[in-house]
Amino acid sequence: MTTTLTTRKLPPSTHPFADVVHRLEAGGSMLPDTPENLMQIIGLYKAYAVPMDFYWRDLLYIAEQVFVDPLPFFKFIIPEEYLKLANHYAGDNADLRIWRGQATAHPELLEFMEKGELKRKLPRILHHLWHDRINMEFAEECMRAMLWHRDMGGLLDPYMDSEEYKQNADRAIRAYCQGNPLLMGLYKLFPDMFLELCRQATMYSVLGLFWEVMAPVFFEISDLYDEGKITSVPEAMNFLVNGIFAIAGRPIYHRVRIRGEWYDIVPKSKGFTWLYEAAFPYVEAVFYRTSPFRGTKSYNAQANEVPTNQLDFHYGILYADKFPVGTAGIPPTLLHQDMYHFLPQYLVEYYRKHCRGEEDMLIQLGVSFQRSMYNVTSAVIQAGRAAFLYPLDDPNPRHLMMNRRYFEGQLNRFTRPEYGIREAARLAYIQDQNYR
Amino acid sequence: MLSALIVLPILGSLLLFLGLGGRKLAVALAGIPLVILLLLFANFDLQAGGLQWVQRWDWIPSIGLSYSLGLDGLSLLMVALNGLLTLIAVLTAEPEVKRPNLFYGCILLMSGSVNGAFVAQNLLLFFLFYELVLIPIYLLISIWGSPKRDYAAIKFLIYTAVSAIFLLGAFLALYWLGDPHSFELAEIRIASLRPAAQTLLLLALIVAFGIKMPLVPFHTWLPDAYGESSPPVAMLLGGVLSKLGTYGLFRFGLQLFPQAWADLGGILAWWGAIAVLSGALAAIAQKDIKRMVAYSSIGHMGYILLGMAAATPISLTGAMVQMVSHGLILALLFDLVGLVERKVGTRDLNVLNGLLNPLRGLPTVSALLILGGMASAGIPGLVGFVAEFLIFQGSYQDFPLPTLISICGTGLTAVYFVILLNRTCFGRLDNRTAYYPRVHGWERIPGLILTALIVWFGIQPMNLVKWPQPLAFTLSTQVAQAQTLILASAGNLAPVTLSGADPGNWETSRN
Amino acid sequence: MPDIVDIAVSAEGFSTLVTAVKAANLVDTLKSPGPFTVFAPTDAAFAKLPPGTITTLVQNIPQLTRILCYHVVPGRLKKADLAKYQSVGSVEGSPIDLTIEGDVFEVNNATVIQADIEADNGIIHVIDTVILMRPHWFWPIMNSALAASARG
Repeated sequence: MTTTLTTRKLPPSTHPFADVVHRLEAGGSMLPDTPENLMQIIGLYKAYAVPMDFYWRDLLYIAEQVFVDPLPFFKFIIPEEYLKLANHYAGDNADLRIWRGQATAHPELLEFMEKGELKRKLPRILHHLWHDRINMEFAEECMRAMLWHRDMGGLLDPYMDSEEYKQNADRAIRAYCQGNPLLMGLYKLFPDMFLELCRQATMYSVLGLFWEVMAPVFFEISDLYDEGKITSVPEAMNFLVNGIFAIAGRPIYHRVRIRGEWYDIVPKSKGFTWLYEAAFPYVEAVFYRTSPFRGTKSYNAQANEVPTNQLDFHYGILYADKFPVGTAGIPPTLLHQDMYHFLPQYLVEYYRKHCRGEEDMLIQLGVSFQRSMYNVTSAVIQAGRAAFLYPLDDPNPRHLMMNRRYFEGQLNRFTRPEYGIREAARLAYIQDQNYR
Repeated sequence: MLSALIVLPILGSLLLFLGLGGRKLAVALAGIPLVILLLLFANFDLQAGGLQWVQRWDWIPSIGLSYSLGLDGLSLLMVALNGLLTLIAVLTAEPEVKRPNLFYGCILLMSGSVNGAFVAQNLLLFFLFYELVLIPIYLLISIWGSPKRDYAAIKFLIYTAVSAIFLLGAFLALYWLGDPHSFELAEIRIASLRPAAQTLLLLALIVAFGIKMPLVPFHTWLPDAYGESSPPVAMLLGGVLSKLGTYGLFRFGLQLFPQAWADLGGILAWWGAIAVLSGALAAIAQKDIKRMVAYSSIGHMGYILLGMAAATPISLTGAMVQMVSHGLILALLFDLVGLVERKVGTRDLNVLNGLLNPLRGLPTVSALLILGGMASAGIPGLVGFVAEFLIFQGSYQDFPLPTLISICGTGLTAVYFVILLNRTCFGRLDNRTAYYPRVHGWERIPGLILTALIVWFGIQPMNLVKWPQPLAFTLSTQVAQAQTLILASAGNLAPVTLSGADPGNWETSRN
Repeated sequence: MPDIVDIAVSAEGFSTLVTAVKAANLVDTLKSPGPFTVFAPTDAAFAKLPPGTITTLVQNIPQLTRILCYHVVPGRLKKADLAKYQSVGSVEGSPIDLTIEGDVFEVNNATVIQADIEADNGIIHVIDTVILMRPHWFWPIMNSALAASARG
């Protein structure tokens, strides 16, 4: 219906991705609406949600308790209290009860943590050393990307450079070092290093709070699909858009617990929100930019293969070459390994039928993951359109033209010739079902 | 024993031609000779040296043809290489190869004939087997292979026919000029021949076998024949057939004409060096990985010639070891290149990329390809190094410049293998096209067997070197004696008696 | 003359705004001399927001305050005054984009349905949509040109 509206009011787009522009204008996703795509992305949301339930808990644990520990050997060994920590947006006492999941850690996660891939109950440390565990390395990669690519909008970034933040950090670091002359001496010697560690801990907290919301969202979308209540890719996207709006005002903060006392580093009263200080920077840093992984990109700066401007970094999931997954040194491999453990049965069977079946399932699920993240990015683009621009059925042609400018501007990020960005972008690939 | 090596494969091929069997039978038939080979190795008397298991039966006495067989260290290695590569070739063949019985039959027929040539001690008998090989190999090239196979097969046939004319001419001349008139290798005496006649005959033999090896400039049939034939056939062509040429040079050139050989030594050494360089440079220019491997073969033949030209015990041992090493490495490379082509569908260097990818590429094949390239480039710890080191070590004192040039040639080998590996194994897979089928376990077996041998002989070279060593010593002594005779007759130097006539003594000098 | 809060309370259709302002403890501020220019969303504007948005904001007062502050500009700016600018800085800190040409009077993606309501301590413009802060990357995206080589 909206398609006819817009096409009547506006001339066809001349963008190289005109089809995608028209689809977005009609309320669709960058990902074509096919049952196969829907199955892949929902399955991956489910597979992602389980490890994510671990990620956010451990991220908050590191932000709140490991804090500025210079040698955080056991930061991935999450304490029981963080597994029991109630999600603010799931469970009976949730702040907002729109998703049905439980407040504490997901049962599939607990089962995996106990027995692992080996299906054997061993001491946690052995599972950990055997890499038979949820791999936090990818989560940390995302955190570092958000920390490193600064100035992506929002007020938190300037706040982390403010005097107020430094004082808050100083108070907490002093409390943390209290009674440990070695640590205190280190802090006196290298105050800036500890401040930077504190900023990193803040980013742990930001990412933890961001994913705390996404985990129940993804569980819910998978349940709705299983119940037959989500039947198309745009429906899945709109479910995410609604989730983004519902939770947009969720506070983003960082607090540290030292000897049973809470220290505010970034207080809730600063008014930082989930949408502006976490979601938008997350999408920008993780989906678009991140940093080149060893082995996937040339580091030849002399040949101008690495952008001089961080804005031009394009190593995120939307540009990722998924085929080297499985190669050593590529952090997403670990994420894919995590998701591999929680694939729904229908996807396992689907992958068995394609390419090399069992052997290259990591890559197949990686490509599905890429599709699913194009859908999440579409949701973010549509949410941005709804928040900053106009409804898709706006009667005013000038408004519709603004919407088109916005959509085309977003898609331009996949067509730039510099640094091979256009070749790296997978938007054209995911239009084809045979890319797997 | 030796007859079994000839008769069993040929009988096997007849069984297959008659329509019995299939792949499993072919594997079994190719495997049986290996048992005989093991017995031969176990019973080979290293101390005695010389020919063993000698047998003779006059076949057609009127024309001097006798069924006369014998086996020394070189023959032993050659029949072993042939037996092994025959089995490997059968294993490498696609299971769905068209007209399987004819295919496997031809391979077995070829294998039996080649064995015959390697153990024949009668010139005419050798020639018979040498020619018999052509029938199955012509069929193998022209029926199974790439689109241009007919052209390649005809080209190969014409070249080999010329080779045969030279060979037959030389053999007949030997018969008529020699005293007594005989085709028996053991009975031929050429002392009565004038030096010029000897040189002429030797040159005819060099041309005949040079075409077969092939040597530059007789090599132009090779890229087509190797490139267009199917991988198992290319494997046999490069691994075994080319050895008929080098073997012939040893047996009928070096062994029969030590004096002429010593005269031509310098020219042959330079010839070898030029072959090494031109083979390597031509390989660098290739855009097709199979042709690249084919050209690498030309360069490696140059090393053998260089080692033979120097004719020191070390260099001759090296040359014989190189024959085995080249056979193993080339077979491995053709096997892997064939797998790449079968899975990826191209041999074009500009298209291939990223095969080392662990999940979507051909990681095992690529890893073995890297190892094969390293072995071919003479990286220590692999069999190629053993052979090349012996050759260079042995030939340097006589022919320093050709040796140095050849050493540069090994450097160039590394260059084209780096190009090959860099393009095919490294880099990234194209997201649009890289949906290659997986490599099955059984497809890896031939490559793994060959790799194991390449590594094993690289680490334990004596297991390989000890077999041809006595023969190398005998031959080098003959050449050295011939040379001193020349020098003495020229009056420049007093004859020097050779001291330390001990096959194990590597320091034996020939001046 | 009544102040901004008085007008909002007395007029019809601003009950959500008034509730929110009260919840955010902004009543005293908006009663202070100011002066302020307030872009006041109607109840219908709030109703356009997806469910949950308001709930979450009401649960988190500082965040609610921040959104409300984005609707307030220091100074007494009528339409004629605003027409001189492309954007004005809000109390929240982020700029508000203005589109003022003839009959068109828009702030961000909201249309002003009633302009220049004078209050004791400022001006009220009634808008039909709750405006949300546009991040700094918004205009670069809108203005990004397609690379010449990418077209065609």
